[in-house]
Amino acid sequence: MNDHSKMWQTALIEIESAVSQANFSTWFKDIRILREDEGTIYLGVPNSFTHEWLQKKFHSSILRILRQMNEHVRALEYVIVREDGKSGQNTRKEQSQAPTIAMPLQDFYINKEDNLNPRYTFESLVVGPFNELAHAASQMVVKSPGQVYNPLFIYGQTGRGKTHIIQAVGNEIKKLHPDKKIFYLTSERFGSELFSAIQEGKVQAFKDKYRKYDVIIMDDIQFFANKEKFQEELFHFFNTFYDTARQLVFSGDKHPNTIPGLEDRLRGRFSMGMIVDIPEPDQESRVMIVRSKCRPHKITLSDEVVECIATSINDNIREIEGIINIIACQIQLKNKELNLNEIRNILKNNLKPKKMVSVKDVVKIVSEFYNIDEESIYNKTRRKEVVRPRQVVMYILREDFGISFPSIGEKLGGRDHTTVIHSYEKMREEIKTNQLLSQEITQVRTML
Amino acid sequence: MKIELGFKKIKEVIVLLEKVANKHQTLPVLSCILFDVVKNGVILRATNLDIGVEIFVPAKSDVIGTFAVPAKTLSLFISQTQDQNQSVVIEFISGNLHIKTNKSKGVIKTVPVEDFPSIPKLKDCQEYQISPEDFTQGLTAVFYSASISNVKPELSSVYIYKDNENLTFVATDSFRLSEKKIKTPTTNKLNDILIPFKNIPDIIRVLGYLTSSMKVCANKNLISFENNGIYIVSRIIDGVFPDYRQIIPKSFTTEVVALKQDILNALKISNIFSDKFNQVHMKIEPRTKLLEIQTKNSDIGENQTHIDAALTGEAMEINFNYKYLIDGFQSINTDSVTLQFNGLNKPVVIKPVSGEQNFLYLVMPMNR
Repeated sequence: MNDHSKMWQTALIEIESAVSQANFSTWFKDIRILREDEGTIYLGVPNSFTHEWLQKKFHSSILRILRQMNEHVRALEYVIVREDGKSGQNTRKEQSQAPTIAMPLQDFYINKEDNLNPRYTFESLVVGPFNELAHAASQMVVKSPGQVYNPLFIYGQTGRGKTHIIQAVGNEIKKLHPDKKIFYLTSERFGSELFSAIQEGKVQAFKDKYRKYDVIIMDDIQFFANKEKFQEELFHFFNTFYDTARQLVFSGDKHPNTIPGLEDRLRGRFSMGMIVDIPEPDQESRVMIVRSKCRPHKITLSDEVVECIATSINDNIREIEGIINIIACQIQLKNKELNLNEIRNILKNNLKPKKMVSVKDVVKIVSEFYNIDEESIYNKTRRKEVVRPRQVVMYILREDFGISFPSIGEKLGGRDHTTVIHSYEKMREEIKTNQLLSQEITQVRTML
Repeated sequence: MKIELGFKKIKEVIVLLEKVANKHQTLPVLSCILFDVVKNGVILRATNLDIGVEIFVPAKSDVIGTFAVPAKTLSLFISQTQDQNQSVVIEFISGNLHIKTNKSKGVIKTVPVEDFPSIPKLKDCQEYQISPEDFTQGLTAVFYSASISNVKPELSSVYIYKDNENLTFVATDSFRLSEKKIKTPTTNKLNDILIPFKNIPDIIRVLGYLTSSMKVCANKNLISFENNGIYIVSRIIDGVFPDYRQIIPKSFTTEVVALKQDILNALKISNIFSDKFNQVHMKIEPRTKLLEIQTKNSDIGENQTHIDAALTGEAMEINFNYKYLIDGFQSINTDSVTLQFNGLNKPVVIKPVSGEQNFLYLVMPMNR
């Protein structure tokens, strides 16, 4: 590459002396050598006008000059290269209109041929100790698709970057192996297309459509849980792809062995390749993620603030993204940096409560809030002023902390789990209609 | 070299081409109109390297040849010439252009033609027929929503795609979006096209001279329109437009139906008092049948305007940039409009009431 730009620089000096200044600055300014292939030099030109004119007017002189420098040059071809956006212009005008919320369009840049979002690349992926295994495995797949780790199965909870990694695999394969046909889809789409194909009696067309690809990337495989027909079709797919050494990449929120209602033979197929877990990102990685999410907003946060955000959100990268968006917006509005307290406030208002609070703490806070004796929550009493807070406790424990019904019952003075279920359901219904109750619960939540 | 042309026709063409041949910094010949004299007429050409136009004008000529004339001078001269005479005689004598009408005569210095670039003709492209009025209508209805910044070329463009029997035109700068569907009988498959928005005014102007059906050709880099001796070619963007349909809400929680003129009037008043962000505040209370538009500027004053409207759904208050709201109304030609909301921080969808549902305008709210 460097040789090429040097070669072109030297050529330019010659060209400049051969043509008029006006012509030189109009036609040769934005041109570069893209590549050289068996004596053919490929010149990148900005538009068709330049292409036509160079070909017509300067073709032989450019070729002669290049041949003087390198006798192997035989021919010259022109390629129109997409100009990248020039930043810097007009940005001021847009800023004055900044308070209007922007549409999240960047999520919807989808290439129609392969359904991939070009935004997801390995370059934009933050690699830390938590996902380095998944990253390494996917790099192997990119190098030789269909040969190693087939299928690649990446699993982890929502918001850990599964989609990013598997789409990056697709985008990278596209770059390295332009002849491979790739397709990305969610398993839901696979299912609904199969469903309508069955209804319209076009199953064969459906099969043919997908079997022509070299790489299939399927997201959120857990959608197939308990769907036998889909699983069967996927199974056949699997065999076709595997036997012809074509790559399959899957993602799911659980290990295939723990996805309920998944057929054993399908499980077996998944384990033939590589199954990688993306665990919770560690503190160090979270700091990196926060910093990388700040970059597109062109904001810089102090180390203290970054640490604070990284510590408060520990399992969901999407949540980090959301918080950064809110912070960026606030900075833009107030036109000044936010201090640590303001950041803490934003975090408090926008995050789900952490799971670290113990049952005892919840009981304590609720009983304080309703001004009753802490002990009475655990007691068998059915006095009205105790029943309501007790139900609130149960509801919060279940809704916010996901504790199982039996263990809630046990911890609150050995109650039956059916009692807890009843209270939970009752509260859930009542919140929808009872404004006062829902306010009370919101207040309790902020105190936790 | 001597040519005789119809005055009215040549005046029209020169004024049109002058808009394309703007001042070019490095190559002076680009601010010229090229006269290519052929057997029974003259082809006039102008280009700014982003767009190129060729127009054939029938004329009486003695010999063939080419010369380039500075567009500005020529256009000023010819448009100021108040001549009712039917024809104009142009003569090219030793580097100068002599124009003679009944009453006036001018001599304009020409520019050497060697450097005038050729205007690309499309090879291996898809071809289809469409009515120029339809195409213009589609472009006009949406192009103001395109982004003026150069950061994302695809957003500084009008996106055109075929979907069922409609040709759909879309533009967005990510703060608002407009979409216009034009019914077209074309059955040919048509690839998606992104036309840079700064070329749109020129294209609209030229298409205005086309009649009946025109031939459209597009490849990866260029799009051309051709009919009746007029040819226009524009650069197109080789890129991907975001799948904007995912942004358009499928349902709504609050709906307002009102007269377009009432809303426009209220917005115009509110402009007097809006702040530096052009913020207008909209208050909707279906229970009390209240629709109010308010603005406030601590330096100037404030105002509230009531609008009679049919309101359904949840009460809400929301802020918009008034400029964005008002822009969309120019493309609605029905008397009433509906505004559909989905609560705070969610976009409002503005559509014409009744008539064909072929226009949609979406505006994002302000963040406070």
